[in-house]
Amino acid sequence: MLLVVEDDPEIGRLVGEFMRREGFEVEIAADGRAMDSALQRLRPDLIILDLMLPGEDGLSICRRLRASDAIPILMLTAKSEEIDRVVGLEMGADDYLAKPFGSRELLARVRAILRRSQGPQVQPANRRYGFDQFVLDFDARSFEHAGLRAGSTQLTSAEFDLLACFVQHPRRVLTRDQILDWTRGRSSEPFDRTVDMLISRLRKKLDAASPGLNLIATVRNGGYLFTAPVKRAP
Amino acid sequence: MMLRLTLAARIAMIVVMSLLAVWIAAVASFYRWRADEKENMRLSPARIAALAELIEQTDPSQRALALKAVETSVLQPKLTPSGGAAAKYRGAAVSESISHAYVEALSGRPFEMTSQPVSALALWFPRLMGTTVNAFEFRIGLRTGETLVIAVHDPLVINRLGLPVGFGAGLFGTLVAIIALIIMQRETKPLARLAMAVDHVDLSFDPAPLPDARRSAPEIRALIAAFNRLQARLGGMLHARMALIGGISHDVRTFAARLRLRVDRIPDEAERRRAVADIDDMIRLLDDALLSSRAGAGELSQEMVEIAALVRSEVEDRRAQGVAVSLTSGRAAENAIVLGDRLALRRIVANITDNAFKYGGAAHLEIDVQGDRVILFVDDEGPGIPIEQRGVILEPFSRLEASRSRETGGAGLGLAIVRTLVEAHGGKVEIGEAAKGGARVSLTLPLFDGR
Repeated sequence: MLLVVEDDPEIGRLVGEFMRREGFEVEIAADGRAMDSALQRLRPDLIILDLMLPGEDGLSICRRLRASDAIPILMLTAKSEEIDRVVGLEMGADDYLAKPFGSRELLARVRAILRRSQGPQVQPANRRYGFDQFVLDFDARSFEHAGLRAGSTQLTSAEFDLLACFVQHPRRVLTRDQILDWTRGRSSEPFDRTVDMLISRLRKKLDAASPGLNLIATVRNGGYLFTAPVKRAP
Repeated sequence: MMLRLTLAARIAMIVVMSLLAVWIAAVASFYRWRADEKENMRLSPARIAALAELIEQTDPSQRALALKAVETSVLQPKLTPSGGAAAKYRGAAVSESISHAYVEALSGRPFEMTSQPVSALALWFPRLMGTTVNAFEFRIGLRTGETLVIAVHDPLVINRLGLPVGFGAGLFGTLVAIIALIIMQRETKPLARLAMAVDHVDLSFDPAPLPDARRSAPEIRALIAAFNRLQARLGGMLHARMALIGGISHDVRTFAARLRLRVDRIPDEAERRRAVADIDDMIRLLDDALLSSRAGAGELSQEMVEIAALVRSEVEDRRAQGVAVSLTSGRAAENAIVLGDRLALRRIVANITDNAFKYGGAAHLEIDVQGDRVILFVDDEGPGIPIEQRGVILEPFSRLEASRSRETGGAGLGLAIVRTLVEAHGGKVEIGEAAKGGARVSLTLPLFDGR
């Protein structure tokens, strides 16, 4: 059974008609709230989620679904530049399709995702990320280094949020404004200190645990760059 | 090495140097003139002798009157009761050759001639200050027993260094000019800061106000305010344009998505494929316009992109579609990282490769590292591009054929988008000839050094 979350009624109808012809049961929701009420009564095998929705947008819905559930998500996007974030570590959608897409393409993707999710059951995605010898666990809010005793490096809440921001956007130049946007509000303590100060303290702690790596590089024109590749950690 | 001097510093140096040069020249010529003209300051021997004769022959009661009559500001004679010429004088004796003429003219009267120092300095450094004498004293023992003392002064007023007072004023003026120049330099500083700030203006973010020079001239503050307004307007325009293109792009994509789904219902296979190709071309044009406006607004993202892997994945996509495409890569290129927008870089590679295949029948890619740059060559097997047209095809909406029909090829941003995007990454595009005669597009991008 498929749940299509799409605000454009025509696209919803066309997708619905086609997928029904292919033998799927299809339910259509126009926005996040309609989706939530549909999820109260239904248990879909796959959610086809539009990125741009009125009210709560697709990215936020995707993040929310990922945190609570293991329902596979296929993202539909009309913004080509968002693709990396959609399937990347931050959103964790299973796949995406850029609009406009053909119905055969859609069918192929849906079948591929369903095949994957019906194999050995994937456990609810944990949110542990590894880089170099470090492991950052978003749920436990813990920070470990393979070579050091657990808990030997303590991060403050603000430092953890900053590192989490870098780990979610690895190898990408982040401006001070972007860092502030992504960390502010999620931090339990007020983010009143400047980003620069926080970064220099985080750098010191990372460097103390793993010297000479220069994980956070400063880029010309006032940006910061997390240079290590990040992988999901077991 | 040529020093980079600010305008104010240059002006200051030129003025100070020329003032100093004039001043030094004036002082030097003054000293020289003094040395030459010392003769003129002295009374002629005949005049001295006549004066001595006159006083001797004047009735003693009339002598004071006679002395008054000949007295001028330059020449001041006075009579002292006898003490003889042997009395001690402060001044320095004048050389024998000069006084000789006087001794002769005075025919035996006791005579002494001394030069009077201008200041105590002359007593300490007689050699150095010898030329700065401005007064002489003649002592003549009269035959009547008294001593006639004649002081001769230079009419020029001079200071303690033996220089005319005007020279001091000149030096003072120079110092004032230097101070004025220093102040001027302080005043022009906000201009230099303004220029620097304007260079660093990044329109992709909220406009950061330029530094306000609160203590500067009103004109400079007005200029800064004007720049701030200009910056805000430019930023607003760029954002409005981006928002417009972004909005259009999103809505057109939505319509295109409906259309694309409907097109799948066209029963005729060939007709359907053509319709799908049209929609794809339309979306590509839209994406290119959006990308190039983002590049223009400095809104491309910067991430570490493994360029060889990106090129390989584009090549493999095309090979899977049956396109004649090959790739060779140097060993150094394998680990090469470019800091740039992944989507834009992919678009650049895709565009050049597709063009090579479309117009040249094949695409042969070669990627390598030279120094601190990554170079990508894309060769085709077509007829090549004439030298005079190589610049033209990098302009938007141009193509070698004059026609813009769908028969001869795709949409019009073509290589212009490539150039816009490559330049936004600090690289460059060049068109040349392939070794086997086709066209060669060379792409140069700066390498990212991690540290």
